[in-house]
Amino acid sequence: MGRIFTVELEGRSYRCRFCRTHLALPDDLVSRSFHCRRGKAYLFNRSVNISMGPLEERLMLSGMHTVADIFCCCCGQNVGWKYESAHEKAQKYKEGKFVLERGRIVDEIDLSTEVYIDTHGSTSDTEDS
Amino acid sequence: MGVVEDTEPPLKRAKRLADEPNGFSANSSVRGSSVNSNSLGDLMARPLPSQGDDETIGSKGVIRKSEFVRIITRALYSLGYDKTGAMLEEESGISLHNSTIKLFLQQVKDGKWDQSVKTLHRIGFPDEKAVKAASFLLLEQKFLEFLKVEKIADALRTLRNEMAPLRINTKRVHELASSLISPSSFISHTTSTPGKESVNSRSKVLEELQTLLPASVIIPEKRLECLVENSLHIQRDSCVFHNTLDSDLSLYSDHQCGKHQIPSQTAQILESHTDEVWFLQFSHNGKYLASSSKDQTAIIWEISADGHISLKHTLVGHHKPVIAILWSPDDRQVLTCGAEEVIRRWDVDSGDCVHMYEKGGISPISCGWYPDGQGIIAGMTDRSICMWDLDGREKECWKGQRTQKVSDIAMTDDGKWLVSVCKDSVISLFDREATVERLIEEEDMITSFSLSNDNKYILVNLLNQEIRLWNIEGDPKIVSRYKGHKRSRFIIRSCFGGYKQAFIASGSEDSQVYIWHRSTGKLIVELPGHAGAVNCVSWSPTNLHMLASASDDGTIRIWGLDRINQQNQKKKLVQGSSSNGVIHRCNGN
Repeated sequence: MGRIFTVELEGRSYRCRFCRTHLALPDDLVSRSFHCRRGKAYLFNRSVNISMGPLEERLMLSGMHTVADIFCCCCGQNVGWKYESAHEKAQKYKEGKFVLERGRIVDEIDLSTEVYIDTHGSTSDTEDS
Repeated sequence: MGVVEDTEPPLKRAKRLADEPNGFSANSSVRGSSVNSNSLGDLMARPLPSQGDDETIGSKGVIRKSEFVRIITRALYSLGYDKTGAMLEEESGISLHNSTIKLFLQQVKDGKWDQSVKTLHRIGFPDEKAVKAASFLLLEQKFLEFLKVEKIADALRTLRNEMAPLRINTKRVHELASSLISPSSFISHTTSTPGKESVNSRSKVLEELQTLLPASVIIPEKRLECLVENSLHIQRDSCVFHNTLDSDLSLYSDHQCGKHQIPSQTAQILESHTDEVWFLQFSHNGKYLASSSKDQTAIIWEISADGHISLKHTLVGHHKPVIAILWSPDDRQVLTCGAEEVIRRWDVDSGDCVHMYEKGGISPISCGWYPDGQGIIAGMTDRSICMWDLDGREKECWKGQRTQKVSDIAMTDDGKWLVSVCKDSVISLFDREATVERLIEEEDMITSFSLSNDNKYILVNLLNQEIRLWNIEGDPKIVSRYKGHKRSRFIIRSCFGGYKQAFIASGSEDSQVYIWHRSTGKLIVELPGHAGAVNCVSWSPTNLHMLASASDDGTIRIWGLDRINQQNQKKKLVQGSSSNGVIHRCNGN
């Protein structure tokens, strides 16, 4: 599996529900009005500590898009998708942005600047394989 | 010209002939004159910038035959083959120097300064400045030789009546004038070997004359040597696969390394780790290889003279995966870094852990040695940088304004620069003496870096699957980029390697090793073989043809030269040499 590269986000951040890896900042939150098959989802300008799956065409409520699923780079959970390109002009604002499923992320304040918490940030101990 | 002496100074040295290898003996001179008068009987024009005929040789028609023969003649004399040189002049009808130049050089060698100045003017160079500078040089030598034998009145007369009127180099004239006050101390400063002093200084005068006067008139002594050396350097520098010592360069054929000089075949597989191998590094002396693993151990491997690698010690003691193992400057010890655990220092000979470094509540995520081997630096989980002496006493601890843990850290060999990843996409070069900081700002997150041996360059691995080379002398400047390898989740490390570190090698998540040419950024080879991601590579500092790679498949592969292709290449080289011989004859080179 290799030594997983992760970065930390300072202060309040959205994290992977399963392994608490930092995924996005509230400052990058664009919209809370997105939906997916499993419920609500949030749109972000940026996301970190993710790896991307292959690009695919996907028909959504708002039309056809080219997207890639994104996975937490630590535990491998599918946490959302990235908009690569949108076919309709009205949807172009999504390009290059990330959707994280509400049910797969938690909102937490990082206390590491004051109190040390082991976040498993630099190893893949939690991996099953 | 002012007042000129009527009589020659009665110097015994002036009569004695110098017996240098490139000297012109009386016989040679006489014969040369004879040949010269014969061949140039019809051409008695005084300015002689070059020989008469413009015949050219060589397939491209840019080499003048007369020039070519003259530099060969010069080389023969320089090598001490006086008879052969004279014979070549006679047989070819092309003189190294015409009779006046020959006379001039002989007069300089004999220390006949007045006559040499007259001959210099008789040659009739168009460049008046050069003639004046050369005259000054000759007269200065005359002055110094007078001073040497304490003929102060003669020295003063030379300075006043012959050198000063030239109206050049007045500063030097003043220096020489002041030397008349205390001539012995001046002499002791300018010359130190009384025996061969005049011979050496006259050789020096000849050398300086060669730089002042046109090269076409006085052929520079090492001209042929210089041309050949330049050719070899050009061949070597343009050789993309150059990974061999200069001793392999030869005049018999143009230099061209093939891919066979790049490590490309698996020579050995080391299988003693029981889990993913995350880091490895050759020792500075190339005798050992150290590796560290997710299996919580590190291993010291020993390399025998024939390149075979065997296990020397397994370093057991960490309770977390060992993310790095680093050699001390003297290769007697290694540091290991347990992932957010502790740093341990080990003795290489015994395999014993000799010290452990930790700080309450925080853990290291990267570490390095002081360049003098007397201290340790570490990047900690609280984003600080700690420095300990070998006994574990904390020397310094920097909090700073980092927004990320210090995921990679190093110090330059002179101990001046502390290099660390200090933000997502920024590397800090902190000058520990001047306490100023330079920054390398990248376009994407930095996953790791490594310094070149000369500390002039840094290799930066980025999140976006690119490796960049920065020149860190002065203000950091990007030099080259390397693409092709895969990096999406893991820390993949790269390194410098090969002859003069002319290559960049990297691991990759697609289980291959990638090698690029450093200056061009061209991908040279991709090496398949591993069954898992290649996390780290290291190129032997002493064996240009040995590369090691660490993989998720739990093995280390040692890459060496492709022996089968190497044999074919040797045959090809032999044939090539013969072909060159044939071409040589056809072209008359």
